[in-house]
Amino acid sequence: MKDDYLKFELRETDASVANALRRVMIAEVPTIAIDLVEIEVNSSVLNDEFIAHRLGLIPLTSERAMEMRFSRDCDACDGDGQCEYCSVEFHLRAKCVTDQTLDVTSKDLYSSDHAVIPVDFSDPSDPNEPSDNTETQRGVIIVKLRRGQELRLRAIARKGIGKDHAKWSPAATVTFMYEPEIHINEDLMETLTLEEKLSWIESSPTRVFDIDKVTQQVVVVDPEAYTYDDEVIKKAEAMGKRGLIDIRAKEDSFIFTVESTGAVKASQLFLNAIEILKQKLDAVRLSDDTVEADDQFGELGVHMRGG
Amino acid sequence: MVVVQGDSMSEENVVDHLIDKQKPAAAPVKSAVDKFQLLPEFLKVRGLVKQHLDSFNYFINTGIKKIVRANDRIVSTVDPSLYLRFTDVRIGKPSMVVDAISEQITPHMCRLSDTTYAAPILVNIEYISGSHGRKEKMIKNDVVIGRMPIMLRSCCCVLYGKNEAELARLGECPLDPGGYFVVKGTEKVILIQEQLSKNRIIIDNDKKGNINASVTSSTEATKSKTVILMEKEKMYLCLNQFAKKIPIMVVMKAMGMESDQEVVQMVGRDPRYSALLLPSIEECANHGVYTQQQALEYLEAMVKRSTYSSSSAEKQENRALAILRDVFIANVPVRKNNFRPKCIYVAVMLRRMMEAILNKDAMDDKDYVGNKRLELSGQLISLLFEDFRFDFSQYIVRDSITNGLERALSTGNWDVKRFRMNRKGVTQVLARKVSGPRALQPSQWGMLCPCDTPEGEACGLVKNLALMTHVTTDEEESPLISLCKCLGVEDLELLSGEELHTPNSFLVIFNGLILGKHRRPQLRRAGKIGEFVSVFVNEKQRAVYIASDGGRVCRPLVIADKGVSRIKEHHMRELMDGARTFDDFLHEGLIEYLDVNEENNALIALYEWEATPETTHIEIEPFTILGVVAGLIPYPHHNQSPRNTYQCAMGKQAMGNIAYNQASFMSLVSIIRNVLFLTSDLPVIAVRPYGLATLPFASRLDMISLGLVRNATVAVMSYSGYDIEDAIVMNKASLDRGFGRCIVLKKYTCTNQKYENGASDRILRPQKNEERERVLDDDGLAAPGEIIRHGDIYINKESPIETRGPLKSAAALADVKYRPCAQIFKGTEGESCVVDRVALCSDKNNNLCIKYKIRHTRRPEVGDKFSSRHGQKGVCGTIIQQEDFPFSERGICPDLIMNPHGFPSRMTVGKMIELLGGKAGVSCGRFHYGSAFGEPSGHADRVEAISETLVKHGFSYNGKDFIYSGITGCPLQAYIFMGPIYYQKLKHMVLDKMHARGSGPRVMLTRQPTDGRARNGGLRVGEMEKDCLVAYGTSMLLYERLMVSSDQFEAQVCRACGLLGYYNQKLKAAMCTTCKNGDKVSTMKLPYACKLLIQELQSMNIVPRLKLAEA
Repeated sequence: MKDDYLKFELRETDASVANALRRVMIAEVPTIAIDLVEIEVNSSVLNDEFIAHRLGLIPLTSERAMEMRFSRDCDACDGDGQCEYCSVEFHLRAKCVTDQTLDVTSKDLYSSDHAVIPVDFSDPSDPNEPSDNTETQRGVIIVKLRRGQELRLRAIARKGIGKDHAKWSPAATVTFMYEPEIHINEDLMETLTLEEKLSWIESSPTRVFDIDKVTQQVVVVDPEAYTYDDEVIKKAEAMGKRGLIDIRAKEDSFIFTVESTGAVKASQLFLNAIEILKQKLDAVRLSDDTVEADDQFGELGVHMRGG
Repeated sequence: MVVVQGDSMSEENVVDHLIDKQKPAAAPVKSAVDKFQLLPEFLKVRGLVKQHLDSFNYFINTGIKKIVRANDRIVSTVDPSLYLRFTDVRIGKPSMVVDAISEQITPHMCRLSDTTYAAPILVNIEYISGSHGRKEKMIKNDVVIGRMPIMLRSCCCVLYGKNEAELARLGECPLDPGGYFVVKGTEKVILIQEQLSKNRIIIDNDKKGNINASVTSSTEATKSKTVILMEKEKMYLCLNQFAKKIPIMVVMKAMGMESDQEVVQMVGRDPRYSALLLPSIEECANHGVYTQQQALEYLEAMVKRSTYSSSSAEKQENRALAILRDVFIANVPVRKNNFRPKCIYVAVMLRRMMEAILNKDAMDDKDYVGNKRLELSGQLISLLFEDFRFDFSQYIVRDSITNGLERALSTGNWDVKRFRMNRKGVTQVLARKVSGPRALQPSQWGMLCPCDTPEGEACGLVKNLALMTHVTTDEEESPLISLCKCLGVEDLELLSGEELHTPNSFLVIFNGLILGKHRRPQLRRAGKIGEFVSVFVNEKQRAVYIASDGGRVCRPLVIADKGVSRIKEHHMRELMDGARTFDDFLHEGLIEYLDVNEENNALIALYEWEATPETTHIEIEPFTILGVVAGLIPYPHHNQSPRNTYQCAMGKQAMGNIAYNQASFMSLVSIIRNVLFLTSDLPVIAVRPYGLATLPFASRLDMISLGLVRNATVAVMSYSGYDIEDAIVMNKASLDRGFGRCIVLKKYTCTNQKYENGASDRILRPQKNEERERVLDDDGLAAPGEIIRHGDIYINKESPIETRGPLKSAAALADVKYRPCAQIFKGTEGESCVVDRVALCSDKNNNLCIKYKIRHTRRPEVGDKFSSRHGQKGVCGTIIQQEDFPFSERGICPDLIMNPHGFPSRMTVGKMIELLGGKAGVSCGRFHYGSAFGEPSGHADRVEAISETLVKHGFSYNGKDFIYSGITGCPLQAYIFMGPIYYQKLKHMVLDKMHARGSGPRVMLTRQPTDGRARNGGLRVGEMEKDCLVAYGTSMLLYERLMVSSDQFEAQVCRACGLLGYYNQKLKAAMCTTCKNGDKVSTMKLPYACKLLIQELQSMNIVPRLKLAEA
């Protein structure tokens, strides 16, 4: 488990729950992303829309997102989405005055809220990374400027969910797989020579099996690496040893992999997802009784209707 | 089959030091030198348009002078001593005359200001001036007679020889190869025209099956066609100037060959030939023609009387002789009335015909590429120029040359009055029914692309050059002739007819001219004569053909000595280090250009290891048989052939970036709209980059933006049902992140007209209270960067109401004298565009001209057209949320889903290999290549190697993945073939095409709805639709569609006379015009078109009468 990477097991449930969790993580955990850009000066090579699009895709730290309001149902600013409860303002001013091209990056974005800033991708814990590595320290490149070119803009970031636009999706990747159950038929395996065993192990594209150096027995080293490609089974059949191995997917156990864009920590992303899933279930339960429940639940009602 | 040549593959060929660091892992046993690098080098020195430039340069430097020299005298018809003579002609620097000041221009200036990039044609003239008997010779230099459009990057162009930085300063893209013209601001290319070669004997069958020999002669002075044909075993001459066919022996006699014996000798002593000639000789005798005098008299009678013949009788006498001298096989010159060369020429023609009679193989094939000449821009322009010059000499009209050239270039109509030639659209389609010319000719190999041809009408007629093809330009003949003489060619004059065809000698034919004969012909390998001179021995005809004329197609090949390539490893190393250029290879005789005829004398090995001792040449790279566009297809040799052809057509519709300077283009390439991509990748599976920088060239050439889009991860599976009929399902998140976005730029121009009374349009400061004036600045124009929507005003213009009449001062007009004439932006409703650029300039009438470039960024939507590089197009069927998309346990989620039904019938195996290779490429981080036929030489990765890479990175060898459904989370039943494929977005987008209307504009004449999307027209219920409704019996629906919703009209019909009346608004009663009363007038509904028809018929004295019955 790292800030932006999480791997865990989900047990004693079925595919529907696992998938619901995955879907919520991708599409319904809110984050903050730049939504409105007012360009004052743009003499760069890229046109306004292009820059706006690029700005939108920059991940912003969104720990605050769960508490923030959607600008469309913010009471404080009657929906124009410019108040502190529902938006964060950014400024960018860059002008190239040297002969060298100037990289305008996410670091040049100045936020009005210190809690919402562009994600810092430099990894201080990584000792291999030289401290003066400009590549990672400078953040996400927005545009490159030549001498005399200038970019000045105001941007407003708002809360949103991945369903509306992928820029609000906090997850780079969320995926799960069934945990495989691997049974090696040891008796049959013993009939194989060492070479045969090796070639059988080689037949798997991923390293699931290995040979125990001491006992020269085939052991499962990493069942999670198995990709359900059936290669080993086919190989076994080709070797005339049908039933050498039996692999079954455990129907109730899932291995999740979550990679975050950096907007929310992967662990937090998971917790938020559960929270939202719970709210949604509540909404469903309540809407059984009253139709008006929709209105009470504000944003979730919108989710229900939209989703 | 790999033939390994024992020791000939010397040690130095064993490659341990690979030329390309990125050599595919499983490159085959390398025993041959990798000659790939020659290709980019070749393109560097030659470019893709060198042939155009060469041709144009030749015209500018030599051709134009020759034309002027050929008819340089204008003599007064009144006084023959008065004349005007052109002594020299040349083309100046591109310039424009503004207010009598000549100003240098650059192509980019022309593009922006919609002018023609042209240079003055300067002549030095010498003339007699004088009146009243006092004559003086005057000389005037540098007289401008017109302006010649200049080809970009030609030797006259300002861009010639400029480096990258200088080009950038001129606003020009350094990648742009030139080779086109800028005419009135648009870029125009002259397409190459294919023609049968001039001055050559072609033996062919005519429609009746008779064998004929034809020569199309072309010299600077005349052009003519001579046909000798065999009919009923007798041979005749057909010439336009003669009314009837003429027995060939009469012609021979007229040329002074009185002895039959000599003719027979000239044709050849073989008794079979004499036997064939006998009927012709007999016929000649039957006509009583024995001497030259008799023959000429006979011919005289045959000469067509020209209608305007007014020349003296004395001149008439020699007409026949003159025709024989000047028109009959005009390419053979007659010096001092010596007809002998012509006689020999005729004899050779006869001999060739008889050979063809005896042996069908000796027939020529008109479609054979060796018998073709390609006419390039230089030749075509010279043709035009020659014609105008002709005009010029008769009536001196200023600007006739300038306008004529400009018109021809901008419309593509090539009218040459002198030869009564009229070519519409320089891509004119031949209407020959036979399949011959459309079929792929074996001789096209390496010269013309076998894939790249349009479908349908022009299929096989419009061709594209292959990658390394060069088209020759004319070369000076005299040095070559003297060289031949030095090498032992015996002069024709010295030979008797008998000697002509002695078995061991060969005739030497130079550019269709019989030069003489040679006893021991040898092949050359000269470094001294021009690189494009072709020498070709025809064993069957016992003739050596030497050609230096323009328009031959040729291509470079590596020379091999006894099967061993002359190019060695160290040569290539020097090339890589930059110590050697492609030209060095040519000069040192490692590589030579061969034309189609020469190829017949060569044994060309495809690969070095296939060479045998007889091999004379080795191909540089096999995939150079493809053209530029076909060369971009990965693994084309695994695809079904028509798919490659489809891709060639489609590649031209793909979007991409056209040039570095695209942002500053005001008028775009000839398509009004230019579409380009926000984001584009290099393909993971590339065809070995033969200089990717050359890609935009191709595009500019064909006036398309050949650009490629993105590597999309494609899953081949069925999903959602919105993917039938080749539709693709796209991932919404991918689109959000910028997949397939494009910018559409549209140009709008508006001129501030000046009127004859001195008034002019004006632009007003907006009142700023109207919503539609939102985007306007204080100057009344929309500002760049402003978001503009449908219905917004972008120029707040007003026009004077009164535009005629006497001159008034413009300032005096009051505001009331203007009517508003604001330019309203008509975009798609609901879409917002951005004003990209506004340019103000003056047009040629010195009016203010305002140009707008309006930009629209589009993301893909349902209905947009996409295609891979394998002729597999499809529209976007639906866009689906990422969470609903299938995913693999590695977290890979496809960008688009393609239906597997696309594969079995199309057989595009290349696409599958591209997917596989792409997957291997992204997993190992190395570009994979898929050049055509590249596997043996290592320029394409083999599937085995790709599979190995895949397995190494934990994928299945067959490219299939275990996938979970995004909707349910359950694994899918099947393994899914998934990986990256390069996808192109094609320029057809729904936004430009979708159209529907309720009520809207109507045509004034018929009152029916207008037609077409541009006029917001209706959708026609046509004849077939009508038939359906009739058959279905829905009469009310029919009535509604065809009448109520179309052009219903209430007419007053008189029951008495059956004619139409009118409704008198004053009397509130219907009247009949004919009966002059309103007693029996009824009102009825009928289509307005019907009423119109009735009235139109009446106007031509036909009276249609309506008979009404009670309904």
